[in-house]
Amino acid sequence: MVRFGRQGERYVLDVRGYVCPYPVIYARKAMDRLKPGEVLETLTDNPPSCENVPRALKDDGHEVIAVEKVEDGVWKIVARKGGR
Amino acid sequence: MGDIGLFLGALLAALLANEFRVRKAADLLGYLEAAVGGVLMAVGVVFASGCNWGGFFSAITALSLHGYLMFPGLLIGGLLGALYVDWRTLRTLKSLELGELPASEASVRRSGEAWRRALLLAIGVAAALAFLWLAISSPGGELYAGALLIGLLVGVVIQRSRFCFATAFRDLLKGGGEFERSVRLQIGIILAIAVGAAGVAILKYVGFIEPQAYVKSVGWINIVGGTLFGLGMVIAGGCASASLWRAAEGHLRLWAALIAAIVAYAPIRFLVHAAAPWIYGEGVLITGALGWVGGLAAIYASLLLWFLFLVYLAYRRGARIW
Repeated sequence: MVRFGRQGERYVLDVRGYVCPYPVIYARKAMDRLKPGEVLETLTDNPPSCENVPRALKDDGHEVIAVEKVEDGVWKIVARKGGR
Repeated sequence: MGDIGLFLGALLAALLANEFRVRKAADLLGYLEAAVGGVLMAVGVVFASGCNWGGFFSAITALSLHGYLMFPGLLIGGLLGALYVDWRTLRTLKSLELGELPASEASVRRSGEAWRRALLLAIGVAAALAFLWLAISSPGGELYAGALLIGLLVGVVIQRSRFCFATAFRDLLKGGGEFERSVRLQIGIILAIAVGAAGVAILKYVGFIEPQAYVKSVGWINIVGGTLFGLGMVIAGGCASASLWRAAEGHLRLWAALIAAIVAYAPIRFLVHAAAPWIYGEGVLITGALGWVGGLAAIYASLLLWFLFLVYLAYRRGARIW
């Protein structure tokens, strides 16, 4: 199940357990619900998504702040929503 | 043997890059999809006389016509798969509630012990050596040993490069998701065929390998097989080779796909061959039918045409592909 919600100041999208292309699609859709300047953290355990999700978010005009390893085989993609 | 090598190579690469982890699918539906996709791929393999390698990629490389027939099937199947992905995400998105997420939810436990990784790495190396020893010590095993070693290398390369036919065919025509990547992957496939076909042409010309080697049946059934395989690989989340490297990364979902495909393959093959052998046609060697010069010219012209079409597609969608 995809989990998406607010945790304090930031939003968290948990797509662990999903393989391509779903992490990219859900990350884009989740970004749609944020306001400009807000931060989304995407959790994924699918290695290719660490390249595809940041690329897709950048293409959409968002700022990718970091791609960090959270633990072995799990990564966190932090991005700030772009726009006015 | 090549597949075992490929799996082990990908496993070692994933371990060394510290990307290995046992990954459960997000829900039961994930396993179900994988199994359905695996069975569709198995049917596709039986119909198209090979998977995305033997039926398409290596087939054209081996100068056989059947690769050209699976190709449009893969395009149709990829498109159907893309429609399925749309439908599926739409359903999930409806249930994607934006609420307060408890801090404990979606938080992650630190569990990466270095020793576990080292242990797995040792097991992987030991397994590779064991298979190699097994191959060498069996009569006529040099061939298997070679296949294993080549498989190991290919496994490392495709895991690192994330070589994925499912992406290449899924997002190409519909243009969703990862269109740019699908175009790049298609260009990669063209280059690989261009290099490989030259090599095979030399080997077949000088008679180092049988001209008819890897030339399989040709007929409308190859297109049907390609369609089923293309749809199956998108639903399952990986083509034959990508399922192997993803399974090696620890994705249980792709294990389900592989097991379903392997279990389904033999009975489907038996049934089809027993009940409808007439669906298969003769194999056609392209350079046999058109002559060496004409055949190779036709193959390279087709690759060039496809490349130009890809460039046009990318240009029309305003995508940067370089």
